[in-house]
Amino acid sequence: MDHVGNPLRTAQDRRLPRIPEPCALVIFGVTGDLSRKKLIPAVYDLANRGLLPPGFVVLGFARRDWGDGDFESLALEAAKKGARTPWREDVWQRLASQFQFVPGSFDDDAAFDHLAATLDDLRERNGIPGNAAFYFSIPPAAFPLVLNQLARTGMADNAKSGGWRRVVVEKPFGNDLQTAIALNQLVDEVFTPQDVYRIDHYLGKETVQNILALRFANSLFEPVWNSKYVDSVQITMAEDVGIGTRAAFYDASGAARDVLQNHLLQLLALVGMEEPTSFDPQEVRAEKLKVLKAISLPKDISKGSVRGQYLQGWVAGERAVGYLEEKNIPSDSTTETYVAVRLGIQNRRWAEVPFFVRVGKRMPRRVTEIAILFKRAPHLPFDPADVEMLGHNQLVIRVQPDEGVVLKFGSKVPGTTMEVRDIAMDFQYGEAFTESSPEAYERLVLDVLVGDRTLFPDAAEVEQSWRVIDPLEAAWADTKPEPYRAGEWGPRASDEMLAREGRAWRRA
Amino acid sequence: MIGLWDTTGNEVVKALAAERRSAGGVASGLALTLVAVVEEKKVREAEAAATIAAAAHPCRLLIVVRSDLDGRSRLDAEIVVGGRLGPAEAVVMRMYGRLALHAESVVMPLLAPDVPVVTWWHEDPPEVIANDFLGVVADRRITDCAQAADPVAALRRRAADYAPGDTDLTWTRITLWRTLVAGAFDTTDERVVGATIVAPEKDPTAALMKGWLQSRLGIVPKWEFTDRSPRMHSVELQCANGDCVRVTREENTALFSRTGQEDRYMPLPRRPVGDELAEELRRLDADQIYSEALGAMAGLSDLDKKPPMRVHVWRDPALAARADEAAGAMAGPGGSAA
Repeated sequence: MDHVGNPLRTAQDRRLPRIPEPCALVIFGVTGDLSRKKLIPAVYDLANRGLLPPGFVVLGFARRDWGDGDFESLALEAAKKGARTPWREDVWQRLASQFQFVPGSFDDDAAFDHLAATLDDLRERNGIPGNAAFYFSIPPAAFPLVLNQLARTGMADNAKSGGWRRVVVEKPFGNDLQTAIALNQLVDEVFTPQDVYRIDHYLGKETVQNILALRFANSLFEPVWNSKYVDSVQITMAEDVGIGTRAAFYDASGAARDVLQNHLLQLLALVGMEEPTSFDPQEVRAEKLKVLKAISLPKDISKGSVRGQYLQGWVAGERAVGYLEEKNIPSDSTTETYVAVRLGIQNRRWAEVPFFVRVGKRMPRRVTEIAILFKRAPHLPFDPADVEMLGHNQLVIRVQPDEGVVLKFGSKVPGTTMEVRDIAMDFQYGEAFTESSPEAYERLVLDVLVGDRTLFPDAAEVEQSWRVIDPLEAAWADTKPEPYRAGEWGPRASDEMLAREGRAWRRA
Repeated sequence: MIGLWDTTGNEVVKALAAERRSAGGVASGLALTLVAVVEEKKVREAEAAATIAAAAHPCRLLIVVRSDLDGRSRLDAEIVVGGRLGPAEAVVMRMYGRLALHAESVVMPLLAPDVPVVTWWHEDPPEVIANDFLGVVADRRITDCAQAADPVAALRRRAADYAPGDTDLTWTRITLWRTLVAGAFDTTDERVVGATIVAPEKDPTAALMKGWLQSRLGIVPKWEFTDRSPRMHSVELQCANGDCVRVTREENTALFSRTGQEDRYMPLPRRPVGDELAEELRRLDADQIYSEALGAMAGLSDLDKKPPMRVHVWRDPALAARADEAAGAMAGPGGSAA
């Protein structure tokens, strides 16, 4: 954290980036997918942008009989493949010289003692005064083991280490409310609650942060951001891919637990929240939590939600197998790969405004967007035939890909008749723009090291999100998901759910 | 791409609109208009830099090349939307003769409506910015004193001529240095009592570094001249308790040494001009820290209190150079007016 006393830094000097104090990043499960695809490249990109402190060490922990050299070559390959910024050998050489590999399994006391000794060692050798962030890139089942090891060796103790000790946890944050509470308790007990960083990488995306700028920096949108003008909100997260290699995990959780609980409810919270008194992490979280608490489920969950499961079909010109034919999926699985649910927010601002949230795999294309559909004008002084093609005004925040904002409104078709039709004004946040904006992980890893908690959901938010999901899961317990063909926008029942109230899904 | 030879300002405006229409980008997210004032031999360089900068800041790029002031008034223009110059929509204009003195008459109608204008001189910075209408019309002005024959003197000139909203790329070039030096004091409350900068005598970055340390720390840093390195070589800060922090440049890295700690290497790359320009475009408000550093360096105070708007002061180079012919030359721009 910034020292108040540093005379070389002032708030006006916005060129100087935030640089963490000398610290170590300890990655558990460093040989895993996430670490190779996201973490190591993010660390390299940070180093390349000069955002890492002079004393910075990466300690990789995983179960492999490896020397430092093998680890280095794995990291090199990962960084080269995933790096966003240009490759610079000298930057890598320096960074790699600060990589160390600590082999061991999670139940191996000696390995953790060795890790603790290595961390202590850094104090003398690298001038790192006890600061370390522990990144859990491991299956949740292994969390208790590792946490207990950290507690046993005192590695998680701020006072004992003489610096800060932080822990970074990836989703899933539990499997339901109970397991989430248990996990939160365990993590908070070993570390202190404010040292726990839960990564929801959606919050690291520029466009997601831009939702707050769009809403609270402009006077144009906020006056109409309520039930008086908004007809409904649709939040869509569609993926064209299937479940890939995550069969075991996915079949046990399903779409609702996998992404609805975290990414989508976070998006909903950002769209629905009241203005925070400041951008202090505490304030933003307080407002988000209020919205999450105000979420109401459909009275009849069987009517207000639809689960789906993809059959075989064609997606983007390629044949895709059905969910039940995927490798390692039981042929009688009732896990959903698609969920659509009608939520409400019980407060004055959003009373009676439905929030339709849907998420699916094997959809026609990959897109995440938030669409605010406005009410029709109270009176249309046109001939009904002339406004037949006029729909709802829409403001669409596209989160990925092609981040941007679309505004859809009615306009006269050139000609002698007063024919009014919808047109879309598409503001690309710029494909090129995105190119140079940091990757979500880059931003989030830096935030952890700097100690900025704004973009990390806290335990209360996670638990509250499960309170939304659990009743849904309970109601779905003995039901079978509706089938839909891969490459379609979900099951027909989902369209019917909206059609019943005279609405329709926006084609994302 | 459209090329127009011996054309008029109006034709250029029409051609740009036509190119935009045919490129299909009806609504685009223009963040600013970047006017690049360049000499002929640096056009490619400026284009490359602006392309990099435009990737981060979608802009309309107007490159103005003024040459051959004594010749016949003439305007050649090249319009590029997308493609070669990246996401920018660009107009490269070459102006000759008296028209070159009235470049604004061509540039003004091309400025994107109601977005900030940034003027960047990729050449020897002007003596007095108020004399160049392209600088007066801009909300932000970026010069590059390193391109002057005597960069340090040019910086002093910038201080005397300063208005809030001016910056110099020399300042941008030491952001990484400043980051390293400032970072050293995040974890300690030690008071700094002295500083030494080792750099060539003509190095403008060292001059600004000195000014910055002086304005922030209230000390007078020493500047040791060296011929061994073409650029700033090292910055050393002495603390009250005798500790010492030193950053030394070695090629693309910085050797970071601190009393009682092992030496460490940090990246200190020389960035392409495009990256520097992108950094400048990130903030379109006045850089107060720069004005303080510049003021301290030139011995002037309260630079940030100067009025941010300049008033154009007409200065005819022909008049200055050849006082006798001046009367005839005042007749006005030959055929450039729209």
